[in-house]
Amino acid sequence: MPKTGYFVLHSNVMPKVTAGQYELVSEHTGLPFTVAPATTHVNVAAPRYTMPTDQILSTFPPANAEGAFGDRLPQIVLKRRTLPWERNPAGLVATSPTPWLALVVVAEGEAQLSAATPVAQCVTPDTVLLDATTDKDVEQGLYLAVTETVVRKIFPCQADLPLLVHVREVDVNDTELASGDDDGWLAVVLANRLPVFDTAAGKPVRYMACLVNVEGQLAELPPPQPPVNVFNFELAQDWSVLAAVNSSVGPDTRVVGGIDIGNIVLPSIAGGLLDARPGSAAQAAPLRATSSSPVGPAMDGAATMTQQSVGQQWSTTTEKVAAVALDPDAKRLVRDTMGSGFRYPIEAFAIERVLRFPVLAHWSFTTNEGATFETLMQDVDVGLLGTIPERAKGAPPAGAPPPEIVETGHIGLGHRSRRGDAVRAWYRGPLVPFPTLRGTAGDGTLPILAHSADQIRRVVPDGREDLSLAAAFEIGRLLGLSQLSVVSALLRFRSEQFGIGRVRELLASVTPFAIPALTDSRIDLSRFVAVQMFGALVKSPDQMIGPRRPVADPGRPLVVRGDLDEVIASGLGLDLDAVRKAGEQVGILAAVAQAQVPIANTRGNVSLDKATLATMRGALAGELKSALDVAAPQLRTVPGGTTGGVPGGPILRPRSARVARSAAAPQRDALDALLDAAAERDEDES
Amino acid sequence: MNQYLSATVAIDAAIVAAQDYASIVTDRDPDDGDHVVPGELRRFLARLRLLHGVPFSYLVPDANLLPIESMRFFYIDRAWTDALVQGVLSVGTISTADRTQLEAVYPAIRDDVDEAERTIRRPIGEKRLEGTGGAITGFLMRSRLVSGWPNLHVRAYSRDVLEDDALTTVAESDPNRMKVLRMERLAPAVLLVLFDGVPAVVHIEEPRQGIQFGVRLDPAAPPAQRRAKVKVRDCNTGDPVPPKTTFTSANSVDVPFRRNAPGVLDVVELRKRLAAKAPNSGGTLEPNEYALQMLRFPYRQVFGDPDDLEGQKFYNLDAFKVSIALTTWKTTVAAKVNTVNP
Repeated sequence: MPKTGYFVLHSNVMPKVTAGQYELVSEHTGLPFTVAPATTHVNVAAPRYTMPTDQILSTFPPANAEGAFGDRLPQIVLKRRTLPWERNPAGLVATSPTPWLALVVVAEGEAQLSAATPVAQCVTPDTVLLDATTDKDVEQGLYLAVTETVVRKIFPCQADLPLLVHVREVDVNDTELASGDDDGWLAVVLANRLPVFDTAAGKPVRYMACLVNVEGQLAELPPPQPPVNVFNFELAQDWSVLAAVNSSVGPDTRVVGGIDIGNIVLPSIAGGLLDARPGSAAQAAPLRATSSSPVGPAMDGAATMTQQSVGQQWSTTTEKVAAVALDPDAKRLVRDTMGSGFRYPIEAFAIERVLRFPVLAHWSFTTNEGATFETLMQDVDVGLLGTIPERAKGAPPAGAPPPEIVETGHIGLGHRSRRGDAVRAWYRGPLVPFPTLRGTAGDGTLPILAHSADQIRRVVPDGREDLSLAAAFEIGRLLGLSQLSVVSALLRFRSEQFGIGRVRELLASVTPFAIPALTDSRIDLSRFVAVQMFGALVKSPDQMIGPRRPVADPGRPLVVRGDLDEVIASGLGLDLDAVRKAGEQVGILAAVAQAQVPIANTRGNVSLDKATLATMRGALAGELKSALDVAAPQLRTVPGGTTGGVPGGPILRPRSARVARSAAAPQRDALDALLDAAAERDEDES
Repeated sequence: MNQYLSATVAIDAAIVAAQDYASIVTDRDPDDGDHVVPGELRRFLARLRLLHGVPFSYLVPDANLLPIESMRFFYIDRAWTDALVQGVLSVGTISTADRTQLEAVYPAIRDDVDEAERTIRRPIGEKRLEGTGGAITGFLMRSRLVSGWPNLHVRAYSRDVLEDDALTTVAESDPNRMKVLRMERLAPAVLLVLFDGVPAVVHIEEPRQGIQFGVRLDPAAPPAQRRAKVKVRDCNTGDPVPPKTTFTSANSVDVPFRRNAPGVLDVVELRKRLAAKAPNSGGTLEPNEYALQMLRFPYRQVFGDPDDLEGQKFYNLDAFKVSIALTTWKTTVAAKVNTVNP
């Protein structure tokens, strides 16, 4: 698949077989007995008289568009890439590189688009089609009736047909090129005629593009002619005069002949047979070659008649009306309306042979511009707003005096003051020729928000009022008021906002707790209370729940007196001096490792003498006493002593006499501190 | 705790409610974010800021300001559009409390609407743009171009990054491409376009309705003797044969028409002529090669400073290239210094 923004053009994509009914016969040979051949019928379907709308991807120019399409070839894009080659235009079964579809562009008045007609009548009589009776996709179709002259002038030659159709391969994701196709392969049929503007008359021209089926009628297509390099816009044949024919004349007159069609000059047939056709149609001698009279024109009584026999006219008209009435489809109505202007009964009036081509799709558009995009664009007068086109010197002044426009973009306009004085005021719209500052940032004279237009009326130094902003304010107010939904939305918005605020403020003044913050969701009250309670509990748990006991009390401080080395050495029974001495030589760690530790007694061999027992008893009593000191300070026996072993506790802060007193007590622990703090808080609050 | 409400409390509450509750979010749009101003009001005000519904005579007070076949660029006066919005907001303000409240909430409204301006025209698949209100510029065009070519393409660029005759465009999401805030036909022949910012270059292009095929009609030819030309392209690359802008005998062919037929091409003869001139054609053109020759791309008009080559200059500066050896440079500089300061 090609990249986005790129596409590949192919000359054609040929199907394996053309459309039609095939018989598939499968035979089995080489068996000892005979097997009856199996026959399968295959129907290869393709559009023939109408193009299904889902096969049409796009058309150019767009249907019903008006624009300058004069230098572009109309085209139709079909989704199925093989569509233009699914039938053989020569009426054969084999495939052919010549497509059976051609896009023909006719101007208003050149041809006749029929109403819905049985498909058998949609082709020129005596045309031989392959499987005409069995292979038809619809019962009724449209056809284009054109005179031989017009065919010779505007239809493509047979050699043109292959060049006017190609296949395009695009990326399906490229919206600009594929615009919704499923596989990115598209068949494009081009027209061979430029839908030019009528430059001479300066008139727009309405064209209709018809996708026609040329099957079986290749011989009717024009032969190649020597080309020329210039062309002139004129209708190939102008039948629009038929619009002026009085259709109310009775059938008798028509049958008898000699209808007065006024001064209408019907188009002459090609080849200059009847260059100057007289005003009355009665003198036209030759009859239509397609007369259906069985005895031939000479023997038929109709030979003297100027028009088709009235019975024929009537029957076609009724058929058409009936066909249209049968189909209440809106699509058909639209197509009919688009075909209007291409409905002149050419067949009834044409003297020469009229050919019919089935129309698979048609749309009309109008070329309304002689100038091209490029020339118009380059002639556009470009400037900033406030630029007045210069009038040529000496040119007569226009009817109205030029407007009073100043460099700031203001324009002087008539203004009637409230007293009724006719004065002039300045006005400048929202479109200004230079960047401006916004609001108060400018001169600081504008209010942040104007409540009435008079607040933003200004008087400029020349004494005139500048009503620009006041006018903007007023038109804004009127535009707002003109839409009920806007007014109600505005009032609802303001009253909701104000209402929320007022209710909250009133609640806040009567309730002892903080109102929940405004959030986007509705507040669940129980949840709100729970969350609020947890918040309060966490903030001061000792107050809401009670003081918390520390996990562990800090231990009693160790009192060490003297040199730490000596204490350790004497406790372990080491000779400190010896260790130190050895440490100077081998390092203190090695010295300690080498030192001999005295062993008091070996395991299970304790010898207790009286002196030892006395010492141990003394030590035990000492420990007991110190433990009792902690438990019952009033039994204090050790004077002086500690300044409290609780690190960081409030006990060390001499805030009051009571605390100072507690601090004097020895061996207080964390629980004491908590109890004291709680008591103190209660004291403060009461 | 107060057990009752006094008048003082009620008035105090009203005053606080009017002043302090301006930033309450009332609109939580999953697509558009949180806003103080409700969506419908915000969008109405933003549309108004882009001058939707404002009578044309307020925009162009005198027909002389926008003559036939003209194009006028402009800046949008923010003070004017703010006054417009204030006019809408003034609807239904009766009491002092209303006005106090409106004054308090106005900055929030203004910011919300500034943001909403960019979401009014939001092409499918484009990201939502956010930001504070900036300069808005645009142009008015009154021309047959507007009526004759519906769906003109208008693109604005903050930097001239694209060659004027490049066939491609820069993607809408490109940072150099300016967002179009509004593009509307106010009348059959009057087009109003607003850009989000001050563009350096504006491109106006013929509508692209798929790929088109056609010729170039000679505008100078008399009506009865109209002529047309087709430029030839290289059959291998598809590039047109230079020069790009003019028709020479080497790069174009005269289009042959059928005698006495209005505008009907002689396709076979045209193919023959094209095959003779197109490079790499091999003497004949297949239907696809013929289609390639007949391709026509939309015309693009570029508005901007013709000498502004900002994009190119920037990239040229970027491409630093060493062209002399360091030793050579050193000796050169030393010699210079010696001559100046011996």
